Amino acid sequence: MMLVHYVRLEMLRLLRDPGYLLMTLVSPLTMYLVFTNLDLGGGTSSDAAVYSMVGMAGFGAIGAVMTNGVSIAEDKPLGWIRQLRLLPLGPSQVVVGRAVCAMVAALPPILAVCLAGGLVDGVSLSPGRWIAVILLLWAGISPLAVLGVGFGYLLTAQKAQMAGLAFYMGLSLLGGLWFPIRLMPSWVADIARVTPVNRYGELSWKVAGGHAPTLVGVGVLAAWAAAFTVFSVIAYRRAAQTV
Amino acid sequence: MHEVGKSFGAVRAVDRLSLRLAQGQTVALLGPNGAGKSTAISMMLGLRTPDTGTVRVLGGTPDRAVRAGRVGAMPQTGRLVGGVKVRELVGFAHRAHAAVARGPMPSLDELMDLARISDLGGRRADALSGGQAQRVRFALAMAGAPDLVVLDEPTAALDIESRHELWAAIRACAGRGATVLFSTHYLEEADAEADRIVVVDRGRVVADGTSEEIKRRVPGRTVSIDASALRRDPADLPGVLSSETDGRRLRLHTTDADATVLALATAGAVRDLEVTGASLEQAFLTLTHTDPIKTDNTQADHIQADHIQAGPTQAEEAVR
Repeated sequence: MMLVHYVRLEMLRLLRDPGYLLMTLVSPLTMYLVFTNLDLGGGTSSDAAVYSMVGMAGFGAIGAVMTNGVSIAEDKPLGWIRQLRLLPLGPSQVVVGRAVCAMVAALPPILAVCLAGGLVDGVSLSPGRWIAVILLLWAGISPLAVLGVGFGYLLTAQKAQMAGLAFYMGLSLLGGLWFPIRLMPSWVADIARVTPVNRYGELSWKVAGGHAPTLVGVGVLAAWAAAFTVFSVIAYRRAAQTV
Repeated sequence: MHEVGKSFGAVRAVDRLSLRLAQGQTVALLGPNGAGKSTAISMMLGLRTPDTGTVRVLGGTPDRAVRAGRVGAMPQTGRLVGGVKVRELVGFAHRAHAAVARGPMPSLDELMDLARISDLGGRRADALSGGQAQRVRFALAMAGAPDLVVLDEPTAALDIESRHELWAAIRACAGRGATVLFSTHYLEEADAEADRIVVVDRGRVVADGTSEEIKRRVPGRTVSIDASALRRDPADLPGVLSSETDGRRLRLHTTDADATVLALATAGAVRDLEVTGASLEQAFLTLTHTDPIKTDNTQADHIQADHIQAGPTQAEEAVR
């Protein structure tokens, strides 16, 4: 299966990048441990620990998929995208391969923060909920993984980095990954609710609290996923024309 | 390629270019910078879509031939990506081809050997010298034992030794029956390596033939005289392929300096006569500034004001 070979090659490259580990693991882990001790989540400390755990795991996952986008942008001036086009690989395999890489890259920060939550902060969930939380954290990042790929194809490395950072920091903050949106002014909270990042976090917050994800939340996320997919396809076509 | 055209804005990069490659041939696409070689090649590989005309590769669209793994290509620009070792990178291309291969494929070791990179397997792909990187890129092009190999200026910016190494590898692959098309602006390289040379200028084929045939059309010498001395059309002089005036000097580019000088002497036009060896650049100018179709008015702007056209017989000969 060619896709697997391609993903393996790109993962190898991503993992050998020293900045990668720092970006995806160190900052969400550190922030998680600091946040839980500052009790920014509100409510009882165990709720706060769960809230922050999900938030920071999601934060780390966004960082990972945006880093993946930057690495795509960095490949463009090297002629790597053209090189791939000259191999017997379909363009869809290349784009999907890169999105899969982003998904794989998102796993370590999610697992690391959840591990820290369970071991350091004593977050206790039933095994079923642990699995559901981690799976939703992972699957829910896919729209943003696709967006990161689109940034990578459309933008220069520098601009992809800026766009990625805007999502990583800005939308994580606005989306309530750092602290709950109910602590924000109500008009800010209203905006937050239509962001993909807030609805992404909501999936796991709900499940960790024993509720099913809301239909509206899933709907908003699905709409963003559709928009990001269109965006990435257009971005790839543009990149392929200028190789 | 049949009547293929491609423009970028107002620039016509490839202008109704037709080219047919016979199987198993090694063909050089020779031309100065900006002649349209790379654009023609990128259309042949399906990287760009022609505005007009059709491109067929191995009986189908370029895209299809590339997807089927039947084409190997080395683009002119491009560096190797970081974070990956040479063997991993070449191994990936090899596996990509193995997945679609219809016939027997060389093993990865054989491929690395063919491209002369066996000793580089453990090196990081982005930490190689120019010559080494170029051989790795060649290995990527050759990974699937392709029927058609397209190399866009493969030896540009390489030192002589690296150039020899790369050519040894290319010859080995041509020896296995592949059709090889390479572009170059080195006349010697085309002469030494190609069965057939296609000279391209301003997006059109201006000459096409074996090295011998091309050389007959390329002047070996330049004879210059006082411009006022000659009263007849310089193109009628024996051996003269083209001529130009520069102030009061008339320069004649000739394949046979002796005959030209004798004819000038007969005409009594030997004032300040000087014979010099033609540079490669001059050789190129002769071929590439010869307008192949005199009746085509759209070409008029291509003719420089100070450039006297070569005779019609010779200009027509350029169209084949």
